[in-house]
Amino acid sequence: MTKSSKEPLIRVVKRQGIKTWQICLLYLGAVILALGIGAVLLLFLKANPFEYYEMMFTLNTVGNKMAYIQYETYIQELVPLLITSLALSLAFKMRFWNIGGEGQFFLGALAGAAVAFMIPTSANVFLTIFLMVVAGSLVGGLIGLSTAALKVKFNTNETLFTLMINYIALYIMRFFGETKADWNIFLRPDSERPKFNQIPDNAKMFTIPIGKFSLELSFILVILLVAVVYFYLKHTKQGYEIAVVGDSINTARYAGMKVNKVICRTMFMSAALIGAAGALRVSSVYALSDTISNDVGWTGIVVAWLAKLNPIGIVIVSALITILQCGSVVASSNFSNVDSHFADLLQGIILFVVLAADFFIRFKIVFRKKNTEKQSKEANV
Amino acid sequence: MNVFASFIAALLKYNTPLLYGTVGEIVTEKSGSLNLGVEGTMAIGAIGGLLIGCKADSLLIGILASFFIAALCGLFFAFMTVTLQANQNVTGLTITTFGLGLYFFIGNGFKSAGKWPDMLQCEGFLESTKPINIPLLSKIPFFGEAFFSQSIFVYLGIIIAVVMWWYLKYTKPGLRIRSVGENPAAADAVGINVTLYKYIHIGIGSGVMGIGGLLMAVNLSGSFEGSKCWIDGYGWISIALVIFAKWNTLLAILGTFVFGIFNTLQVFGPTLAEKFPGVLGWLNKIPPQFMKALPFVITAVVLVITSISNKKNDQPAAIGRNYYREER
Amino acid sequence: MDNNIYAIELENITKTFGSVVANKNINLNVKQGEILALLGENGSGKTTLMNMISGIYKPDSGSVKVNGVPVSINSPEDSKKYGIGMVHQHFKLVDVFSAADNIWMGTEGTGLLLKKDRYERISEISNKFGFDFNPRKIVANMSVSEKQTLEILRVLYYGAKIIILDEPTAVLTVQEIRKLFDVLRRMKAEGHSIIIITHKLNEVMEISDRVTILRKGEYIDTVNTSETNEQKLTDLMVGHKVNLNIARVETTFDRPLLEIRDLSINNDEGSKAIDSVNFYIRGGEILGVAGIAGCGQKELCEAIAGLRKVEGGQIIHKGDNIVGLPPKAIIEKGIAMSFIPEDRLGMGLAPSLSITDNMMLKNYNKGKSILVDRDSARVKAQEIIDKLGVVTPSTETPVRRLSGGNVQKVLVGREIDAGPNVIITAYPVRGLDINSSYAIYDILNDQKKMGVGILFVGEDLDVMLALCDKIMVLCHGKLMGVVHAHKTSKEELGLMMTGAKDISLINGKVAGIAKDSRIEETKEAEVE
Repeated sequence: MTKSSKEPLIRVVKRQGIKTWQICLLYLGAVILALGIGAVLLLFLKANPFEYYEMMFTLNTVGNKMAYIQYETYIQELVPLLITSLALSLAFKMRFWNIGGEGQFFLGALAGAAVAFMIPTSANVFLTIFLMVVAGSLVGGLIGLSTAALKVKFNTNETLFTLMINYIALYIMRFFGETKADWNIFLRPDSERPKFNQIPDNAKMFTIPIGKFSLELSFILVILLVAVVYFYLKHTKQGYEIAVVGDSINTARYAGMKVNKVICRTMFMSAALIGAAGALRVSSVYALSDTISNDVGWTGIVVAWLAKLNPIGIVIVSALITILQCGSVVASSNFSNVDSHFADLLQGIILFVVLAADFFIRFKIVFRKKNTEKQSKEANV
Repeated sequence: MNVFASFIAALLKYNTPLLYGTVGEIVTEKSGSLNLGVEGTMAIGAIGGLLIGCKADSLLIGILASFFIAALCGLFFAFMTVTLQANQNVTGLTITTFGLGLYFFIGNGFKSAGKWPDMLQCEGFLESTKPINIPLLSKIPFFGEAFFSQSIFVYLGIIIAVVMWWYLKYTKPGLRIRSVGENPAAADAVGINVTLYKYIHIGIGSGVMGIGGLLMAVNLSGSFEGSKCWIDGYGWISIALVIFAKWNTLLAILGTFVFGIFNTLQVFGPTLAEKFPGVLGWLNKIPPQFMKALPFVITAVVLVITSISNKKNDQPAAIGRNYYREER
Repeated sequence: MDNNIYAIELENITKTFGSVVANKNINLNVKQGEILALLGENGSGKTTLMNMISGIYKPDSGSVKVNGVPVSINSPEDSKKYGIGMVHQHFKLVDVFSAADNIWMGTEGTGLLLKKDRYERISEISNKFGFDFNPRKIVANMSVSEKQTLEILRVLYYGAKIIILDEPTAVLTVQEIRKLFDVLRRMKAEGHSIIIITHKLNEVMEISDRVTILRKGEYIDTVNTSETNEQKLTDLMVGHKVNLNIARVETTFDRPLLEIRDLSINNDEGSKAIDSVNFYIRGGEILGVAGIAGCGQKELCEAIAGLRKVEGGQIIHKGDNIVGLPPKAIIEKGIAMSFIPEDRLGMGLAPSLSITDNMMLKNYNKGKSILVDRDSARVKAQEIIDKLGVVTPSTETPVRRLSGGNVQKVLVGREIDAGPNVIITAYPVRGLDINSSYAIYDILNDQKKMGVGILFVGEDLDVMLALCDKIMVLCHGKLMGVVHAHKTSKEELGLMMTGAKDISLINGKVAGIAKDSRIEETKEAEVE
């Protein structure tokens, strides 16, 4: 009965009062570690990790006369990701698991494109883009609203419901892309095979030329959006309601908040922003496709989470993730033995390592002390 | 083969992967963990099992490989969420993204190196995937051929579901894992090793999902496409079916195949339309994209209906929350 | 076994959580066949210490000996192996399992399969220990005292010789406590060693052989029960002389402020939680609500605050029926509700938000601006911190980081700051030490003097008898009667709480209806 078990070598204890610089250092270390793991993988593929990473992080712009094209592509990719991540963070703050970003993006893009094709080509560029965004956000927002309504009314699992909408939206997109018919305004009339048509010129994104480089209007809009979301969450009554509902639904009810209304309203906004991002994306890349979302619905979740739902953090993280994605497309075109899906892998590894780093922020590991070891030896005698 | 028998055959063939996914997720969720990485886990299990199985030219080795490789994914999920206390939703989603990334990475790698195996050339492997007639039972007129002439995957899936039901309900380890999923603090207080139990069951659950992934690969003759994954959303549907099956692996058999009737129309619709042009001719008029979307539409509808009708919640009480003993 | 050897012996046990020292150099020992009371205020580290013996926590330093042999307890599994069993204050039971399965899940060597005979085997053991017990009953359907019996039976079934009970009497009626103590005495006679955690002195005097006292995480002394008395123990426990009496402030009662007539409310499962209850609160009066845990208190509080649907009856506030009004309108009428749930943070506070942000919870929506007014909330937060002595680094600290007492001060402080005319307060001193508790009682008495009507839902009958003017007793959602606090006794309340005594109808008159009711007034008004 008195046989003693040995004390484990390590045990985990909650940590308190960690400093901000320590957290930053830990995250930095995590990213470096993840890149290190990626480097091993690259070596395995017989690619030089230093060259690969250099090309990836600089987007191959060093000494490149066409560098401005890379920057344009970069902005083009960054904008939808940034909007989607911000939008998702609104829902996540409320602990509402909207993982339907993909579907909301697709349908927003379709609605935006519908406006682009239907509006007279004589219409003003700004008006057209504005109407596209309105249409995209309405469609996206209504999907979000119905998900939220089902959640508050019947407690329908929002994670799975939004997921199913993702696939349904994808097939709707494919349906429009693969069905040749008179009513199908999205396709090229001159092509025998079904093929998505380019949007008219007045629906194409307005750009501001800076030298050779042309800056998308949407980039300015998104910077404004970051400021608005930050202010909204931090200083408005509605932002305060989101914080309370996310923290404790019981407390929110107790404080007299209309919890269902808050959930529906916030989810509408979240999905509407994603729909708007879809419409802007159409305007920016000129045509629909069934890969138009570029997985922002998924990547946005990762970004929002890594940034701890902080708008400023979201800017930083999405800027970095976009470098990773654009960079690996550039790099993989120069390294024939590395597949472009390497970016997904690297992204996954970074997230895993950062999640693991979170553990070291919340906990610390204590090693078995010598005296207790002696003690347990005594006990074994 | 009559129409009924071939419909049932198609029903079982194309929906058994969902049974594996659902049963695997039920076992996982019974331990109190919500693993949203089913899609990725099935993809990794599938590609690993297929490559190894073809290499060894043995289906058995392929099944074992898909089980163990997927189980490793599960153990990794357990490491992140049980040991490192990471958020279960985010970890699961990342396993899906990472898993699909790895799937394409490996597949493209083999393909571009010209080393992708042709499953249809692996005779030993292929032979074992053919339907097995159960003696006597398969001779029953009308029903026999439909139900008792199936591939090893169908029998194995049903056996696993029944065994898991029995295990969770009638054995002490089953009782213990249920207690971990309901109230880990209570389980811990009576001396149950919560961490170990979670690791084991998350691992087994993911392993089962992996076999389902391999079946999806086999159903598609193991041909790899650079743009589309074999699993194609079935992992997500499996997670939804868990709710439909009320966390009961026996009901999962029923749920999967009832659900599967709609799902099977996707592949079997044209045949039915041809056979019964009067009654079912309209099946041919539905655009193929809508047929493909059908399982997801049905799942969404089922989710809403079950949430309306199911006031009593059967889900394990501690699901989604990590357990840390010294929490105060 | 040698009688001079202690069944369990703790030496110099220290445990810290971050910067907080929960236990510092604690010594404790129990002989075989002895009942040791572990006495200390809330927050003095009793539960932490016991959790180290039961393997939940791990001490930073110090040694544990079982039967004279040093051991290292790393998990509840180890603890069970050494014959230690703990009955936790918050029961560690699986609600959806039967009683038998809750025991069976932790048994060793009982085979791989679950056989039907497990019910009989557990019945046998429970009969042996003299419990009347149905092993097939599902825990969710059990009363608190049944759950406790199950926990005790479970540690006995596992063969524990050293049994720890954490505040076992907190949730029981006087009659149930008597039954529990009989069981403990029988266990003691059979040679078990028992450690009972409590802060109730009369129980210490009644049941224990020796008392070990902790204060603020430190070991104070161990005394023989026969050589001490309640006042001495209090002084040891609190560290300075305290007056044990809560003063009942005498005020002149006003007319009824809040009247409840024939009120019926359902619980979450849809069955009756409150069944045709009548009572009223006057201004300047504290009305206590006594009852076994979970007999409708929570539902009653929620219904008055507008958070739960009322199935029938009226809630009249100053002559207006408030049934059906949204929570916001009820807050604006000056009815403040503070309910302290078991986890303390569930309702009334948003734990991740700062003290400042929690201050604006109920009035953030005032004014037309779309922005929140955080500046005045910060000023208010600072006021409450200063006035009630809340220990916090700043007004911007998340409430979650504060200790239990400070959390409650923030909550009660905010409620009172809003200047209510009716205060509904449930378990306001749950988990507080004596000084903090008295601070809360003082606040309530001050409000009473100002003419506020107070509904006080409590756990500790001694406190309620001293603080309240009247006490109403609930049993399974039914009103058992309303009694004057200075005319009743704990025994009478206990009988009413278990439903053994029902004085809700005296001479055919329903208890809890005011003579100068405002309800009649409104009815008359309607007639006109």
